[in-house]
Amino acid sequence: MAYTELVQQNPLRVLNMSKGSQMGLVMARAGSGKTALLVQIALDAILRGKRVIHVSVGQGIDKTKAWYDDILQLILQDHSVDRPHELIDMVSRHRMIMTFLASSFSRARLEERLNDLVLQDIFRPNCLIVDGLDFASTDREALEDLKNLLEAMNLQAWFSATHHRQDPRVSPRGVPAPCHEVDDLFDTVILLDSQADATIELQIINNSGEPAVVGKELRLDPTTMMVKER
Amino acid sequence: MISLVRGWTIAIWPGVAELAAASFLFPGGGTHNRGSWQKRLAAVHEEGSMKKDLSKVRNIGISAHIDSGKTTLTERILFFTQRIHAIHEVRGKDGVGATMDSMDLERERGITIQSAATRCSWKDYAINIIDTPGHVDFTIEVERALRVLDGAVLILCSVGGVQSQSITVNRQMTRYKVPRIAFINKCDRTGANPERVVHQLRDKLGLNAVMVQMPIGLESDLEGMVDLVTMEAVYFDGDQGEELRREAIPAHLLDEAKAKREELLDAVSMFSDELMELVLEEGDIPEELIQDAIRKGTLSLELTPVMIGSAYKNKGIQLLLDAVAAYLPDPTDIENIALDLKEEEAEVKVSNNPADPLVALAFKLEDGRYGQLTYIRTYQGEIKKGDTIVNSRTGKKAKVGRLVRMHADEMEEIEEAGSGDIVALFGIDCASGDTFCAPELNWSMSSMHIPAPVISLAIKPVDNKAQINMSKALNRFTKEDPTFKTYVDHETSETIISGMGELHLEVYIERMKREYKADVEVGAPQVAYRETITQQADFDYTHKKQTGGSGQFGRVAGILEPVEEGEYEFVDQIVGGAIPREFIGSCDKGFRKSLEKGTLIGAPITGVRVTINDGAYHAVDSSDVAFQLAAIGAFRQGYGKAGAVIMEPIMKVAIEGPSEFQGAVMGSINQRRGVIIGTFEEGNYTVVEAEVPLAEMFGYSTTLRSLTQGKAEFTMEFSTYKQVPKGLADELVKAFNEQKKES
Repeated sequence: MAYTELVQQNPLRVLNMSKGSQMGLVMARAGSGKTALLVQIALDAILRGKRVIHVSVGQGIDKTKAWYDDILQLILQDHSVDRPHELIDMVSRHRMIMTFLASSFSRARLEERLNDLVLQDIFRPNCLIVDGLDFASTDREALEDLKNLLEAMNLQAWFSATHHRQDPRVSPRGVPAPCHEVDDLFDTVILLDSQADATIELQIINNSGEPAVVGKELRLDPTTMMVKER
Repeated sequence: MISLVRGWTIAIWPGVAELAAASFLFPGGGTHNRGSWQKRLAAVHEEGSMKKDLSKVRNIGISAHIDSGKTTLTERILFFTQRIHAIHEVRGKDGVGATMDSMDLERERGITIQSAATRCSWKDYAINIIDTPGHVDFTIEVERALRVLDGAVLILCSVGGVQSQSITVNRQMTRYKVPRIAFINKCDRTGANPERVVHQLRDKLGLNAVMVQMPIGLESDLEGMVDLVTMEAVYFDGDQGEELRREAIPAHLLDEAKAKREELLDAVSMFSDELMELVLEEGDIPEELIQDAIRKGTLSLELTPVMIGSAYKNKGIQLLLDAVAAYLPDPTDIENIALDLKEEEAEVKVSNNPADPLVALAFKLEDGRYGQLTYIRTYQGEIKKGDTIVNSRTGKKAKVGRLVRMHADEMEEIEEAGSGDIVALFGIDCASGDTFCAPELNWSMSSMHIPAPVISLAIKPVDNKAQINMSKALNRFTKEDPTFKTYVDHETSETIISGMGELHLEVYIERMKREYKADVEVGAPQVAYRETITQQADFDYTHKKQTGGSGQFGRVAGILEPVEEGEYEFVDQIVGGAIPREFIGSCDKGFRKSLEKGTLIGAPITGVRVTINDGAYHAVDSSDVAFQLAAIGAFRQGYGKAGAVIMEPIMKVAIEGPSEFQGAVMGSINQRRGVIIGTFEEGNYTVVEAEVPLAEMFGYSTTLRSLTQGKAEFTMEFSTYKQVPKGLADELVKAFNEQKKES
């Protein structure tokens, strides 16, 4: 992998997610860049040689793929890469998209699909992105169940959750509803907070028990949704 | 990489691949009892004044999954609009067949391949029906047909429901923004369940489907239907259901009908504030208000009204025709875009105004005993006998001779046709997809960009007669279908046909046998490989032959480099006359010749920029030929150092079927060097999307069928060219060298 430069320059390096089966959570209000951030996390993993399965609940294959294409283009605009087509090709070989209609997604089904891939040696993922899971209707038991599955398969996973302004509930650690009662299951929690100047700040509430590097505040550029250092 | 060409769809699914692969014998010595139109020229001018009022014109398509009863329905529509006077069944015993399936091949298989356009009148509406093919293999025709129609009827079988074909067709309609109404046919069949089909329309197709009718009885008890807009029961009396009887809703169905009407009003009141208010006030609601709201919702593609019936039992056809008139768009409701060729294909809206200069699209060609018949759709302006029109692709002018309106197999001579109409021209030489304009315009309704073929095979006529017929057939097919190409390989003297997929070619071979009686032997399909370079390389080559007689001398130096987009670029950086002006063109010619056959496997070379920056000449011995040969030598020298690789076509493949087979399907893709892009799951239904090299897709329909008990189907379209992996490339090179040795 000759993309070390891209990896090292990535502002996401502040995240402490190097161990095997950790769970991360990105929370924001609707339309505040959750998918954009998840895709950047996924691309970072791919550039580090990992294989990623992107599970999208409620969005189609084309839409999900478009996120990757767009963000990859933005990366290529900012950094010169020798053979861009090789990078694009590498990304498509290290990524697989699984989309489900909301009602069709379950742990059992996910496990079956993952087993299909691994047993036939079609795709061996290291990282799982789960975008669009409805946490309001997912109970603690179901999440623990998922966590067990991830541990058994030695998979890192990132989830997204939507919180609503009108729901004031919040956990002692500062994780808002609907995840306020399950926040302890996640090693890392990032809250996307829209600012008055339209930028979106990344509040890293928990970073695998370690503090995020101070002085390196991250934000999403509102036009490109790319993570930048402030 | 080579410039990417997208958007052409070739699709194959198991049942049909089998059909196409099987060989068909020609029945009864080829009696063309209805292959071409007959002499009955009905010179009727019944619609003379009406066609000016575009609000009364409907250009519609009828689309469906195979065996949903599309042809039967079309036949019934023609019967009820008095276009035909007897009803023939698709697979009828009388051997006459339905009127719309003009080709013998179609009639034999009970399927519809070619789209024919036919005109009929319903009340004071003129309806042009474009009979779109139901098979995705012939997608080029589906897409062309979708461009010319303004609205569509999506037929579904009340038993089979939304099948994969409907999904594909629906996706195409969404892509071309075609407003549609759904017709749930075969409600007389055992197992009919229109409710379930409506749910599928919502879930599988994502349509906001809402029933505007409710059946009275189902299966063999189907009596008629409740019209939820007028709240009447409708029955169909007479031998062929031609007498409509409207009555009060039977008491036992009244509550259900009221509930269904509530649902309907809830859904459509979103499109009319006035209606919304009346619904909230629970006041009396005029029918027109509901109809207007349904129309508005349908045109905005946000609502799909659902009709029910049984074409075979003549139930519901008249109401469907009413719905076509009431809910589907007229030509002015639809925005159509042309490309201005004078302005680098800038998009321009066509006006639909008969006073503007003519713009018309030739969407279908037919060969008949009177010569070529060209179906056109006009988008603005008028076309009259004697007008001069220009083909914007070729720039050729033509005079409009005979102008006719087609009624399935009869035709009517007309003097002129207005905007938004569908008519046919005689004796105009053109290809399908050409645009005709008034001389002052140079617009095109479709991009000039045609994807290059990805597969080819050799064909050999069995005898002299077949040879002649084959030429005729090939001439015709290449005109009809820009993605179908043919040439003679000079080395082997074989005729090569090439196209967008295995089945694409099989269909044409079949048609050659059927329609032209040209029996041909078919070689194994060949993937259209290409060669390209991956790194920069310089060259400096001198071509010298100065021993006796007139000599040859030329020296060419410069660099080769890969280009991402485009096939070939030539850059001249010669200064100080190192190569004289008159020989620069010779160098270009020499390079172009080199591109025809690469040295790895003899495939065409693309994606190369050649820059010449130095050279030398001889006052006497330099010539055009000398510099061409020098350029060829120079190219070969540079090519050897430029990291030449073989490229192969990659197809975007979508496989649809029950979820239980997902693992097996993905395994089969994996074995074929495929990359899985993603999966989509919904209930027990799965789509797997992947990119697979075309070379690995031969015979996939058979594999898929046995893997999934015939329950999965797949479609594929050309995506891009990608480099062949090293091991495989070595094998190709080896095979090519062995073949060269032999010959």
